Amino acid sequence: MAVIKVQGLKKKFKGAEIIKGLDFQLETGRCVALLGPNGAGKTTTLRILSGLLKPTDGTVLFEGREKNRDIRHFIGYLPQYPVFHSWMSGKEFLVYVGMLAHLPKKEAGERAEKLLKKVDIYEAGNRKIASYSGGMRQRLGIAQAMIHQPQLLLLDEPVSALDPIGRREVLTLMEELKEQTTILFSTHILGDAEEICDDLLLLHKGKIVEKGAIEELRNKNQSAKFELKFSSNSLTYFERIKSMDIVQDCLMVKSEIHVQVKDIEKARQQILAASIKNNWPLVKFELSRTSLEDLFMKVVKN
Amino acid sequence: MQWMTVFSKELLEDWRSYKWIWVPLVFILLCIMDPLSSYYLPQILEAVGGLPDGTVIEMPETLPEEALMMSLAQLSMIGVMIIAAITMGVIAGERKSGVAELVLVKPIPYLTYITAKWAAKLLLIFSSYLLGMLASWYYVNLLFGEISFLKFMGVFFFYFIWLAFVTTLSVFYNTTVKVPGLVISYTLLTLIVMSVLYKIFAHIMPWFPNSISTHLMRFVMENNIPGELWGAAGITAVLSVILLVLSNYVFKTKEMAD
Repeated sequence: MAVIKVQGLKKKFKGAEIIKGLDFQLETGRCVALLGPNGAGKTTTLRILSGLLKPTDGTVLFEGREKNRDIRHFIGYLPQYPVFHSWMSGKEFLVYVGMLAHLPKKEAGERAEKLLKKVDIYEAGNRKIASYSGGMRQRLGIAQAMIHQPQLLLLDEPVSALDPIGRREVLTLMEELKEQTTILFSTHILGDAEEICDDLLLLHKGKIVEKGAIEELRNKNQSAKFELKFSSNSLTYFERIKSMDIVQDCLMVKSEIHVQVKDIEKARQQILAASIKNNWPLVKFELSRTSLEDLFMKVVKN
Repeated sequence: MQWMTVFSKELLEDWRSYKWIWVPLVFILLCIMDPLSSYYLPQILEAVGGLPDGTVIEMPETLPEEALMMSLAQLSMIGVMIIAAITMGVIAGERKSGVAELVLVKPIPYLTYITAKWAAKLLLIFSSYLLGMLASWYYVNLLFGEISFLKFMGVFFFYFIWLAFVTTLSVFYNTTVKVPGLVISYTLLTLIVMSVLYKIFAHIMPWFPNSISTHLMRFVMENNIPGELWGAAGITAVLSVILLVLSNYVFKTKEMAD
């Protein structure tokens, strides 16, 4: 079931169209990455979903919400640069936003303690937020977004501003949260998206240029290319391989032969059969996986 | 419930930033300054010296009512400025810093958010004003002569309606722009324009909010509440309510992020 359905979403700022008609839906329990270069419209999209901005056109539908209930009950949102009341302690702030989300005081306190432990800043819970580091603020930001157990967690660039250690910690945390709720997070770093998301929305210049499950996208964009290496001089076999009818193109790259083929399955059989028959000293036979990076670059450059 | 959450958070914030200490102190100072200095003026002049020998200083007798009104005169200038200054960031500040982006994605009605903040600031202003006026009343009774409790309460109550209006005006501008500096400029500008308008059209606008202090003067001197005072107070209170409703409307139509 879809948590949220977005149809024909458009947003104009002072005449300039930032979002040019988005259609997508988020399935329950999935972790979805909203990937795109800077200026693609990621933050704007998340702000519209969170209700902070109003769409110029189009609809955002929350499935399974009770009629007329404020959509903000279902959403937890972490802005790109979260700002807190720095005169409060971390725990005070969590209790405050928890009570704003209709939790009774006692329950808000319990949730706050639990979340502080979960995001691993429990020891700093009674310290003023003013003294927190960037990574601690980001984790407090995630905790405040989770305080009312939302069905959908919107995270705007949750790891982009962090150092490698902080980034690892937050990614691990998101991995855990995936089990509890649907997550939509934006990033311009492909590695982060590949690492934890199930689905991908590739956004470019206010449009979705590619979407789907990450494995599916990988397979779809799989180029038919093998990389071969021999223990003796590879050049010896170069002509033999090039002359096969299944081979489209053949290239020597350092000591490897890169073979572009028409059909992956047939090519695999032919090459391996030839290799066994002629007893080639094959040390590497690999189907090259174009990473999503290629897809990203391809899409963004077009 | 949510209302109390925002309200008490606001009180706590003002407490931790020492507003609950300095604002009452400043109001007390403002209120007792003029009655005290005018009472002790002869002694002050003597102590400072510089007058030729034999100069006879004749001071017109100050009535206790006039002395009490001196406090209001101070409040109407510096007091109003202080109110505008402590309220200029009540909402605009949170929007400018970005905290509002976290707070307003929680399911809290905008009217709750606005009125709770408004009430918290109003309580601070009410308490400071009360302490200031009590101090003034005490010294006036001591130095100039007696003013009845009822008369004091009347002055206190009617003038508070004006101060509440100033607070509400500032809260209203808080919802329209998100730069505290602009908020205070708009607030003070509006008050100046209102004061000029009143000076020009006083004869045809006896119920204009600015007329409260004029009518108060008559009230303390004549000992009965003139009808215009009720009218002006009523109009001012209604205007404040309209401003609050308008704030909610403006806030709803506004986008909370850029």
